[in-house]
Amino acid sequence: MQEYDIVIGLEVHAELSTKSKVFCSCKNEFGAIPNSNCCPVCIGLPGALPVLNKKAVELVIKAGLTIDSEINDLAVFERKNYFYPDLSKAYQISQLVRPICVGGELKLKNKIVRVNRIHLEEDAGKLIHSSGDAGTLIDYNRGGVPLMELVTEPDISSAEEAVEFLTKLRSLLVFAEVAECKMEQGGMRCDVNISVKPKGSNVLGNRTEMKNLNSFKSVYRAIEFESERQIELLEKGEKVVQETRKWDDDAGISYAMRKKETSQDYRYFPDPDLLAVRIKRDEVENIKRTLPLMPDELKKKYVSEFGLTDYDAEIITKEKFLINFFEETIKLHSNPKNVANWLITEILSKIKDEDQPNIKISPENLAKILNFIAEGKITRTVAKEIFAKVWEKDENIDALVKTMGGGISDDELENLILRIISSNPKAVEDFKASPTPEKQLKWFVGQVMKETRGKANAVKAEEKIKNILSK
Amino acid sequence: MEFEKYSLLELVDMLKSKKVSSEELTSYFIAQIEKKKNLNAVIEVFEDALSKAKEADIKIKNNENGKLLGIPVIIKDNILYKGKVCSCSSRFLENYVAQYNSTVVEKLLREGAVIIGRANMDEFAMGGSTENSAFGITHNALDYDRVPGGSSGGSAVAVAGGLCPVSLGTDTGGSVRQPCSYNGIVGIKPTYGRISRYGVVAFASSLEQVGPMTKTVKDNAYMLEILSGKSEFDETSSKEKVEDYLSAIKGKIQGLRIGVCKEIIESVKGMEVEKPFLEVINWLKDQGATLVDVSLPDYNLSLACYYIIAPAEATSNLGRFDGIKYSRRSEDAKNVDEIYIKSRSEGFGKEVKRRIMLGNFVLSSGYFDAYYNKAKKIQIKLKKQTEELFRKCDVVLSPTTGSVAFKLGSKNSDPVSMYKEDRFTIISNILGIPSLTLPFAKGEKDLPLGLQIMANSFKEGTIYNLADFIENNWEVK
Amino acid sequence: MKKFDLAEVKRLSSLSALRFSEEELNSFLPEFENILEMVEQIKSANTDEVELKYPECDLDDLREDKARESLSVQEVLTNSPKTRKGCFSVPQMLED
Repeated sequence: MQEYDIVIGLEVHAELSTKSKVFCSCKNEFGAIPNSNCCPVCIGLPGALPVLNKKAVELVIKAGLTIDSEINDLAVFERKNYFYPDLSKAYQISQLVRPICVGGELKLKNKIVRVNRIHLEEDAGKLIHSSGDAGTLIDYNRGGVPLMELVTEPDISSAEEAVEFLTKLRSLLVFAEVAECKMEQGGMRCDVNISVKPKGSNVLGNRTEMKNLNSFKSVYRAIEFESERQIELLEKGEKVVQETRKWDDDAGISYAMRKKETSQDYRYFPDPDLLAVRIKRDEVENIKRTLPLMPDELKKKYVSEFGLTDYDAEIITKEKFLINFFEETIKLHSNPKNVANWLITEILSKIKDEDQPNIKISPENLAKILNFIAEGKITRTVAKEIFAKVWEKDENIDALVKTMGGGISDDELENLILRIISSNPKAVEDFKASPTPEKQLKWFVGQVMKETRGKANAVKAEEKIKNILSK
Repeated sequence: MEFEKYSLLELVDMLKSKKVSSEELTSYFIAQIEKKKNLNAVIEVFEDALSKAKEADIKIKNNENGKLLGIPVIIKDNILYKGKVCSCSSRFLENYVAQYNSTVVEKLLREGAVIIGRANMDEFAMGGSTENSAFGITHNALDYDRVPGGSSGGSAVAVAGGLCPVSLGTDTGGSVRQPCSYNGIVGIKPTYGRISRYGVVAFASSLEQVGPMTKTVKDNAYMLEILSGKSEFDETSSKEKVEDYLSAIKGKIQGLRIGVCKEIIESVKGMEVEKPFLEVINWLKDQGATLVDVSLPDYNLSLACYYIIAPAEATSNLGRFDGIKYSRRSEDAKNVDEIYIKSRSEGFGKEVKRRIMLGNFVLSSGYFDAYYNKAKKIQIKLKKQTEELFRKCDVVLSPTTGSVAFKLGSKNSDPVSMYKEDRFTIISNILGIPSLTLPFAKGEKDLPLGLQIMANSFKEGTIYNLADFIENNWEVK
Repeated sequence: MKKFDLAEVKRLSSLSALRFSEEELNSFLPEFENILEMVEQIKSANTDEVELKYPECDLDDLREDKARESLSVQEVLTNSPKTRKGCFSVPQMLED
């Protein structure tokens, strides 16, 4: 049977983490009352003029730096003209000839995906379609929210790779504090361009585009479906029509848009209301200095400096909030491996299914618990109980340690041991006569642990028992 | 008293010294507007004008300051004044109420001006005769059968006809200067970016500026200082320091290098304005100025460039008039596409539609490089030639128009001949340089002709000095 | 070369969201031809050596990222011909 190559390019939009919109001072905020974050500029009142937000430009530069883009020394803004009700001015301010970032690449496990460009543009408003015939409503709150658009080269060849790319990109953007990428709020959206060709062929097939996919799952399913569909067409000897298709996530199919885009002519030209922005080398260097170590670099550091396993380092560096938690905790507890273990086995297991993971213990408290263990004040068992309590209800650890037995003093421990020894003379004899006294010793430790319900420090207890019995 | 006989500066003094109240002045001019209603210069007299005048009188009484405290001002109908209708003389915006103040209105109000009404204009400032208004044509203040010029025709007639001491216009290709010339008053198109465009309904963003229209040069200098300056709401407004233009007026022109531009002299040949134009140049030489021969090789392409760049920007700027967010929506539109097409087709006049189509032509794929980019490149070339030119001279003289105001209706059927009316004014918009017109000669039927003075960017002071010298020493004949 | 025929007018009026009556078109076409003829003077200029330039500013000249108060919803909607539920309203659109 004929095999096929799948050729995929992505256009990824992410809303930037700014306080205000890109061309006016309205709040950049999700979920506000409709049309409450609007002003003459973003609803396109006559006479209003755009004024560019510096932070938005800096964030796009930052995004570019994380993927080794070249930063253009002059960024130009153009108008993309078309009529649509979510576009208040009948043009979108975007960038065509001189985007802020050119080129770049993102390393996946098995390949490098080249990036064509990243540019800055404004988001459109939101259309609210009612059921029935009541009409469509327009909310311009999102209109003018800064968006970066990253365009890849067609280097991706499977749904898995596409999702790997997006996951990695999201983690970079979140990590560099460029964008929060909250998919469920439309904070990150993806257009997929896809075509298929007989394996090894140099001739690209006709491509289709699916716009505004807003979850990794839809991207995955849409690519699977669409590549299958195209292959089937070719198998039947039919042609793939170059078109924009709509992905229906519920039905799990893509279909041609009802309204054909008759090769839109957007009539781009430089926006005469805006000045081109001169970006100097030293300004780029300054922004570079504000970048934290990126996940890949951090992973290396965790393995080589802290001795974490590849696996653990990989897991922690996947998410910004895990990295932050890890970094904070190791400032207060000297054994990073311990921290990593707890973070992965205790914490991650609790939150891995949450949509918006929330670690319900502070780095300070986890460090405290780990320090108590290290000092031998509590056992792992007790530590886990304390951890569970703190997680449930932010309690005072020192108090818990006291009441839950980490507080067994040396005197109490010694008294308990003496009592156990005096009430078990047979065991003492066995110990003294045994060629392998360790076994009997373990029995005594077991008794101590039983009496203290696991709260005593077993190592300490064993030492003490050995001392007393050897006298 | 016949207050229209006084200059703005005289009225400012009279108000300050309490020889007259703002209420008297304002009611006088409102009565003038009523009396000369047949000129159709003013679309609306604001109902709160008199109460604002009374407020100004209280401030005068309390010795409060304000460079225009109590002065009645008329603004062109494309300048936003919060709470007032701003229609751009278009059906589309007939009932559009401004939700914020333009920067220039803010500045007028800060200095205590009483804005008494809005002036008729060519729809969306597209035109040169004020015949393209949805609210009727405006008549020349000096000859009822002639055009007032445009697009700021209403603003010019308001000053020339004695309806107010000062008005504001906007100038994208000559729209302040040409009507000033036709009505015998003084008007300036300042350096691009000198005055903020915020709150001025955009026609061609990269070319236009607000400009004061006055009876005298000094009045004009006084106004420009008030209106100028950087605005945080307009990226294209300039940080360049605002001059005290009145003190730039020295009363002498010794050593001033006046550029006599070869291409302009050639263009003037055979025109009504030729004789007085050459005379005034020679007279200036006698007065101590130095004449320098200069050249702008691509001068004659400015008109063609303009009719590419301006419609391109206009077509995009006017996209927002879509019948959804404000004002006119066609009543029988059944879906969104029909809202667009019907509202716009019913709401825009012929000239506006023509320019939108032209703009889309030069921007559309396949034509963009050959038209838009080519025009931009010629503009860059012209700017370079201008840098060269202003190394040799301080100002360049030109007529504002070739002849006196033409007859109403005479150019309606021939857009190109109408467009050519701006052949002398458009160059300063293409170059972004300041350019002032003042009446300097009389042509047919004793109607006025304007002299245009251009200088390098931000050299308005130099222009005012020369203009004032001519105004005071040259005999208009 | 005649650039401007009915097909071209159709293309441009669609981009312009405008519609013309037959009568309007009859006067429009010759006028447009004339304008184009005038505009085409630019072809005579040699611009081979000219590079496009843009008015520019520095990164530092841009607006600081501070949010300010917006208009009230009422002000936003006040000039609209049709509103509903605090939004601008248009006839029902198809969802794609």
